[in-house]
Amino acid sequence: MLNAIKNVKIHLLVLALVAASELVGILKFDIGPGKLVLIPMLYAVIIGACLGPKFLKVVNDRDMDHASALVGLTLMLLMARYGTLVGPKFFEILKAGPALILQEFGNIGTLLIGIPIAMFLGLKREAVGAAHSIAREPNVALIGDIYGLDSAEGRGVMGVYICGTVFGTIFFGLTASLLSILNWFHPYALAMASGVGSASMMTATIGSLSAIYPDMADKIQAFGVASNTLSGLDGVYMSMLIALPLSNKLYKILYRIKYGVTQEA
Amino acid sequence: MNKIIESAIVLLIVAAITLVGNRIGYGFGIIEALPGMAVLAGICILGVLAHRYVYKLPTVLYVITIGMIITMPGFPGNDTVAAWVSKVNFLALTTPILAYAGVGIGKDLPALKKTGWRIVVVSLFVMTGTYVASAGIAHVVLKFLGEI
Repeated sequence: MLNAIKNVKIHLLVLALVAASELVGILKFDIGPGKLVLIPMLYAVIIGACLGPKFLKVVNDRDMDHASALVGLTLMLLMARYGTLVGPKFFEILKAGPALILQEFGNIGTLLIGIPIAMFLGLKREAVGAAHSIAREPNVALIGDIYGLDSAEGRGVMGVYICGTVFGTIFFGLTASLLSILNWFHPYALAMASGVGSASMMTATIGSLSAIYPDMADKIQAFGVASNTLSGLDGVYMSMLIALPLSNKLYKILYRIKYGVTQEA
Repeated sequence: MNKIIESAIVLLIVAAITLVGNRIGYGFGIIEALPGMAVLAGICILGVLAHRYVYKLPTVLYVITIGMIITMPGFPGNDTVAAWVSKVNFLALTTPILAYAGVGIGKDLPALKKTGWRIVVVSLFVMTGTYVASAGIAHVVLKFLGEI
């Protein structure tokens, strides 16, 4: 890591990327019931990826190794901020009731559907990273801590994270409106479930739901925010204690079924 | 001990870059955001230390938990700390991370190309699966509680 720290070039490049991306700022486009939201981190990752030897040739292999070695640690500042988002609301969330807590187990739905599909598509260890959770910031940080973000698991979780960031808001907005048409679930349940993802996903979902059910809008919004805050609080515990071990177990079983051998180490 | 000093240096570099982004993108002056950033960096270093010397749980777990405890109602100075860190925009913290990740991604591009479209498909199922499962559970529990 020492060599990575001493590589002043990458720090200056990152500073330039950050400055340029923040200058452009947040861009929003209305699409149907959802919103396509582009945020500065997307510009930073795309321009950054173009600096490699394949395109602009600004950075070499050594620089790239150095940069990815630092990602795991850079995430920690964001995680500290995450904690401070939850702290002030801690007791409100405690009061918000058992429904809010239990719906968090919906995370298990993620891996039960996601891992078989990922493996069916031919992914290997990427599947565990990609499908163990909905891949928001705490999940990315956890995978980074355990496997490293330059591992197969890390590629999986980063892939879903980036897709979620690009398409998540519009996708969640659309899914919520579709489900409300089907009328399987009460609007409050749809509102609570909106909290599983990022704050912007929640905002998009709550936005569509409030428009569909204007007379319930107040409660819909309260449930969405409480659930989102709760996900921030327990998401990382849920991932580490339940979702990740279960994913690994499911992966092992499916691996034996699909390839006929026990997974290689 | 060296590892911890190295971590601290990386955190300081990233904190400095974030302060610049926070100024450009969200209009919080660098001096204005400095106390909040110092708190965040301090939490991270405590997390790294705890991972090393207390118990080998993932650092991220310590960091989130410490951040939460010091801003909880009733913790001494919690309001001041919460006000300080609110000057560091959440999104401003994400940009440098993705910038480092972006610079490093080049070497994974062949692997990403191989998995790329599959990951997109998986992520759609992951998002749907989580949302529908959570809504289903919430619906059943709310019904059980007599709320709906």
